[in-house]
Amino acid sequence: MAQARTTSRSDGQGARIGSAARVRGRIHGDGDLLVEGQVEGDLSLRGDLTIAEGGSVKSKAVEAQSVTIGGTLEGDVSASGPVRLVAGAKVRGNLRGSAVAIDDGARFSGQLDCAFDLPAELGGASRNDGSARGRPATRR
Amino acid sequence: MASTVIGAGITIEGEVTTDEDVVVAGTLRGKLSAKEGVTIEHGATVEADVTGGSLVVAGALTGNVTAAERVDLQQGSRVIGNVKAARVTIADGAQFKGNVDMDV
Repeated sequence: MAQARTTSRSDGQGARIGSAARVRGRIHGDGDLLVEGQVEGDLSLRGDLTIAEGGSVKSKAVEAQSVTIGGTLEGDVSASGPVRLVAGAKVRGNLRGSAVAIDDGARFSGQLDCAFDLPAELGGASRNDGSARGRPATRR
Repeated sequence: MASTVIGAGITIEGEVTTDEDVVVAGTLRGKLSAKEGVTIEHGATVEADVTGGSLVVAGALTGNVTAAERVDLQQGSRVIGNVKAARVTIADGAQFKGNVDMDV
C-alpha cells in the first residue's frame, strides 16, 4: 500500500535500512543502525551496528559501539565495544574491538586487532604491561 | 511498519533508493527515491530531491518532490521546492515556497 501514514514508529534515535533499500553515501549519528539492505559508504555511529542476514555493507571505514554481523561486510571495522560475526556472516576486512567473536559458520578474511592483556602465565605481566602485550603465547 | 527508518539521531549524506516505505525522522542530504510511501516526520531535515508513491511531510524539506499518487504537506511542515503529483494538499500552518504541478 502506498498510503502514507502520519505517525509511525521510528523508535527514537535509531535507523533501519530495509531489505529493499540501498544507500550510497555516508551514514553517521548517535543512534543504532540495522542494515537489512545494501549500504555503500562509510558508517560512523555512536550506537550499535547490526548487519542482518541478507544485508550488505561495502565501506572503507565502519565505526560503531558494538557491531554484529550476520550479512556481508567489506571494509575495516573499528568498534569501541565487541564485534561479533554470527553464522552466515561473510566479512572481508580488519576488525578492531574490545572483544571479537567469530561464530561457527561465519566466514572471515582479514586481521583482528583486539586490545587485551594476556594473563600472567602467558607472559602478559600486568605490572610491566606494554612490553609484554601482544607477545605470542608460545613462550615456555 | 516502515521498512526503512532514518531515526532522529541519524544523518545520511548520499542516495537512498528503495522499493518500499521510508520514514525520515533524522537528516537526509542527497537523494531519496522510494516506490511506496515516504514520511518526513516533524523534526526531520531533508535536503534532497524526493520521489515516491505518496509523500507526507511534517518536517523540513528542501528539494523537488515528485509523487506518483499524492503529496500532503502537514501543519508545521516547511517545504522549499517544487511539488509534482496528481493530488496535493497543503494544510493550514504549513509553510511552502515553490511551484505545484498537478498535471492538469
